[in-house]
Amino acid sequence: MIKVKNLYHSYSNDEKYAVEDVNFEIEKGEIFGFLGPSGAGKSTTQNILTGLLQLQKGEVEVAGYDIKHIKNKMFNKIGMSFEQSNVYTKMSGLENLEFYRKLFDVETRNPMDLIKLVGLDGKENIKAGKYSKGMKHRLTFARSMINNPEMWFLDEPTTGLDPAIAATIKDIIRQENERGVTIFLTTHNMYIADELCNRVAFIVDGKIRLIDFPKELKVKYGKKLVEVEYYKNGEINKESFSTVVDEEKQKLLEVIRKNDIRTMHTKEATLEDIFIKVTGRVLV
Amino acid sequence: MKLWYSFTKELILSSKSWYFYIELGMAVILLMILAFVVPNDFDSKGEEYIYIDLPQVVRDKYRDNLLEEDLDGTAEFVELEAGKTMYAAELYETDESKIYLLESKDALDAFSNSERVPAVHVRVNEDNQVIHTYYLQGYETQKLKNLLLVFHNKKAAFDVIKDYSDNITVKSIYQDIEPLSDKQNLIPVFLTFNGSLMSLFIIAAYIFLDKNEGIIQAYAVTASSVWQYLLSKIGVVIVTSIVTTSIITVPVMGLQPNYAAMILFIITSGFFAASLGLLITSYYKDIIQSFGTLYIVIVIMIMPNISYFTPSWDPDWVKIIPSYVMLQSFKEIISTNGNMAYVLLASLGFAVLGLDIFILANYRFNKTLTL
Repeated sequence: MIKVKNLYHSYSNDEKYAVEDVNFEIEKGEIFGFLGPSGAGKSTTQNILTGLLQLQKGEVEVAGYDIKHIKNKMFNKIGMSFEQSNVYTKMSGLENLEFYRKLFDVETRNPMDLIKLVGLDGKENIKAGKYSKGMKHRLTFARSMINNPEMWFLDEPTTGLDPAIAATIKDIIRQENERGVTIFLTTHNMYIADELCNRVAFIVDGKIRLIDFPKELKVKYGKKLVEVEYYKNGEINKESFSTVVDEEKQKLLEVIRKNDIRTMHTKEATLEDIFIKVTGRVLV
Repeated sequence: MKLWYSFTKELILSSKSWYFYIELGMAVILLMILAFVVPNDFDSKGEEYIYIDLPQVVRDKYRDNLLEEDLDGTAEFVELEAGKTMYAAELYETDESKIYLLESKDALDAFSNSERVPAVHVRVNEDNQVIHTYYLQGYETQKLKNLLLVFHNKKAAFDVIKDYSDNITVKSIYQDIEPLSDKQNLIPVFLTFNGSLMSLFIIAAYIFLDKNEGIIQAYAVTASSVWQYLLSKIGVVIVTSIVTTSIITVPVMGLQPNYAAMILFIITSGFFAASLGLLITSYYKDIIQSFGTLYIVIVIMIMPNISYFTPSWDPDWVKIIPSYVMLQSFKEIISTNGNMAYVLLASLGFAVLGLDIFILANYRFNKTLTL
């Protein structure tokens, strides 16, 4: 669905690249997480993929279209949810969606259905300027679905939302993905990436450091240990056991068999831990 | 169809914005000024303050001469203030001037010193010669001073000049065009600045508002083109210009203007001005950053006004400033038997120039969508 080859971009038109030699491919139906701290090159890459920034160097293909020669009809297949809400504040939520649906050449979704989907029903006739930040964000998110996109770009889709609404948004993303929509998710939030993405790319200083499946990464970078807290002679004991050394595995079984277990955790690495380990940078 | 949807949406949005009502409000204010403040013709008569320090018989003869030239054949007795003191005077109004006959030398001095107006003291000297003493203020031209010298030195040149001037034939170049009144003459200025050129600033305001809200980016990722977005903005600005122009023109000029030519010219000149506004905004992130450029454009566009009101100052370089062409075109449009060929040519020029700038602006916007 997306092919990026040797992508470079410089805002100053010199050798100071914001994005440098970026290569990746995204298969149809994937949720691809593009992860990195602020200023890493996430937005630059996404803006090039969506045609907002002109392609300077490299080859980019999105939904079968060469980005060097963007055609308007490409956007019939693409949806884009911006991090910063950018709706018409003097129009109501419903009017916003009614207007945008007219800008596509394909069958569009019913605006009211989308309003309901993101939990804005009952507020559809209020001017978007009077919406809270979260409501505007949900309207921007709903708008990005109006043309039933095959390729959906999501920029920080849950930022600024309360946990319940963020969960709803994540559910919608999963549902759309189940319908076959390919998703390019840009975020610095490792938890949402962990929950949603099939594959992730770590980008730092304009360069991709790693592309892999989250589960593989956890296995690869996580400690192969189980940490157990158990009661023995009225006291709480705490021990760690290797999950790969036979002798330790036997000991773990012994502890489980003979004692009451208080807590037991595998010492699996989080995506954030892995990111720090791989890039040496924190996600801010 | 997408262009139409965008246009109607922009029309609705602009009707909800302050800028729209500011434009309409300004048009109404300008109309009020034209209707109630600006006279049909400005009083351009020169004022003369004279004290005739001559025997009564001569003074009466002087008065009789003035009465012959007075418009209604009677002198008006008025009271005038100079230096916080009221002075009685006789007013004689001729085709060319208002002549105040003062009653004392003190009054003459007061007007000369306090009101800074040219005054004349007429008296007889010891040799029984009539002496005219002019109290000039320093701003009089050398031409006037020379004229006074010639006038009072008839032996030297006056007769020659009189013969010469009597034989000069004056012909109006525009014999078919009825001259506009002073009030009507102001309308092209209002139409140029509140109509066509305001498009430049209003569209800049609209675009910066959208840039601030990220609207252009949202539009750019639809199956509609950015040029449709830009053109719909221009369409709204032109519609507003037509409305404001009508508010100013119709009540004052009635059916005299060529309204078809006026609408055509508003569309083309507005398209040019709005495209120029778009091009400027494509280089800046917000209105504060663009202010320097907009200010320079304002100053350049104002310059032709000097030429408009001072026909003797009409250098070639002023004629290439777009507002010069706009002023002249609007003048032709509202004049009886105005030069429509000039208006059509100007419209064509603005359309072609506007299209070039629009194409460039569209290219710039597509290139700087994330700005």
